[in-house]
Amino acid sequence: MDALNLALELILMPLVAFVVGLFMVLMMRKIAARIQRRVGPPLLQPLYDIIKLYGKQTQISHGLVHDIGIVMAVGGYVAAETLLPVPGMDGLADRGGLITLAYLMMIPSLGLALGVGQCANPNGSIGIARALTAMLAYDIPFVIVIFGVAWHYGTTNLADIIALQQAAGPGGWGAATMPLLALAGLFSVHAMLGKQPFEIYVAPAEIATGPMVEMGGKFLGGLFVMQTFQFYTAGVLYASLFLGGGENWLTFLVKAFAVVAIPMCIAFLFPRYRTEDLLKMIWKWPVLLGLAGLWLIMH
Amino acid sequence: MSDLKQIPIHAEGDAGGDPKSEGLFTRVFDELKAFCRSRSLFMLHYCTGCGAIELPPAMTSRFDMERLGIQPMVTPRQADILLVTGYVSIKTLKRIILTYEQMGGPKYVIGICSCTVNGGMYWQSYATAKVLNEYLPVDLYIAGCMPRPEAVITGMRQLMENIRTGKADNWKDYYRRYDHYLGNQQQLFGERWQTPTDVIGEADHYGLAGPETTGPHTALLQQHQVPLQPLEMRLGSRQERKP
Ligand code: SF4
Repeated sequence: MDALNLALELILMPLVAFVVGLFMVLMMRKIAARIQRRVGPPLLQPLYDIIKLYGKQTQISHGLVHDIGIVMAVGGYVAAETLLPVPGMDGLADRGGLITLAYLMMIPSLGLALGVGQCANPNGSIGIARALTAMLAYDIPFVIVIFGVAWHYGTTNLADIIALQQAAGPGGWGAATMPLLALAGLFSVHAMLGKQPFEIYVAPAEIATGPMVEMGGKFLGGLFVMQTFQFYTAGVLYASLFLGGGENWLTFLVKAFAVVAIPMCIAFLFPRYRTEDLLKMIWKWPVLLGLAGLWLIMH
Repeated sequence: MSDLKQIPIHAEGDAGGDPKSEGLFTRVFDELKAFCRSRSLFMLHYCTGCGAIELPPAMTSRFDMERLGIQPMVTPRQADILLVTGYVSIKTLKRIILTYEQMGGPKYVIGICSCTVNGGMYWQSYATAKVLNEYLPVDLYIAGCMPRPEAVITGMRQLMENIRTGKADNWKDYYRRYDHYLGNQQQLFGERWQTPTDVIGEADHYGLAGPETTGPHTALLQQHQVPLQPLEMRLGSRQERKP
């Protein structure tokens, strides 16, 4: 019975992530539209896009590694979802822990790098080089934040971290007890989502969407699916670390959406940083904030 | 704005859509696919002529194409619509054809502006290609010099309707009658004209090859065709590279 339950959870959790992620993508596009005084896409637009892309008749593959790259990009996140507790479902959270999760969240970028490599498009190579550099940038504050939270609660088990915060109530949430780390975390979540001002690796007008340049049909569809997972992962992970996770589905969704909405509201007001400026900026502010936060919680 | 079929220039392409698939489930699935295709259009705007200037208002806050599910995309691989906005010079037409062949089907071509319909005010120019659908299967023309954003949006809505009802499948015509299109292209660009895309091979692969896919013009192409080769990897300084 236990194994059956677990299997069910492992199937349900990515599905939930996908559906919630679709609405997060919609929210992002709506926010962008509202900031630009437009109406924005209809409710099911992200779903239409994905079905359309998978339904393309001509699929242009550049070889096996191209295919595998997309599978890794989506698969990495699907695996990550099973480690992120949602209300009522813990999945593998108590077995995996934060460190496995941090590793799994890097797989999509690496998979993408593999796939783009085989496309042999110079724009793609430039894009993925920039994407990996950006990953190097935001992963450092991210790792500091994860280390800080694990230190503070004395565990890397996400389910325990959430339980501890919920037992302490809103005053005991990570955001209240570790405000500097929470700020640094928000910063790196923003960079992780790859939106302005940190979207130099996509840069549609200059390098033709970088890593996505040779992706059409189901490949682009796979990347759209990956994006839904990416939004969900970032939102839920942050909510679990700093906002006490979700006591029930309502608070869970409100928190996750709020976390994603904050960077989105900032993003569309900005142009983008160059890669080296992005590195300087991220290695200076969020890293300093994170280190100061670490110092605070250790003393 | 009008369908091709109402414009008195060579109406082409067979009207029928796909043969209807059997089974309730597949039919529902096909309907869903067609609906999603019509509601999600990524467009590649090839801004060749003055007509392009009416696109920004159609995309931005005043008319907002995104509410219809139409968004700009930047590479042919990702795009569904190729928007040709204005006169096409012979040089540009080569690039348009290259771009078109790299797009994944189903793909649609929209000719905006009178210049794409019949040459417009460049009718007497030696340097422009006049009737766009002699070189590419155009799905829809939006006439005007230049068409206002309202006309562009209405045209887009017409295309969406055509896609939903399965009428917009002119892209298959490019495979079915490749010889015809290639002939017109060769007339303009000379007989050594070729693109890196293997259109005949694709037609075979997707089962779209017809009796008119190959013919005298493709035979001519095959005489000149240089197969695509991977780029050579070379390391070292510039001097050493000299053969
Ligand atoms: S139809 Fe008029 S506006 Fe359009 S490309 Fe021709 S001259 Fe320019």
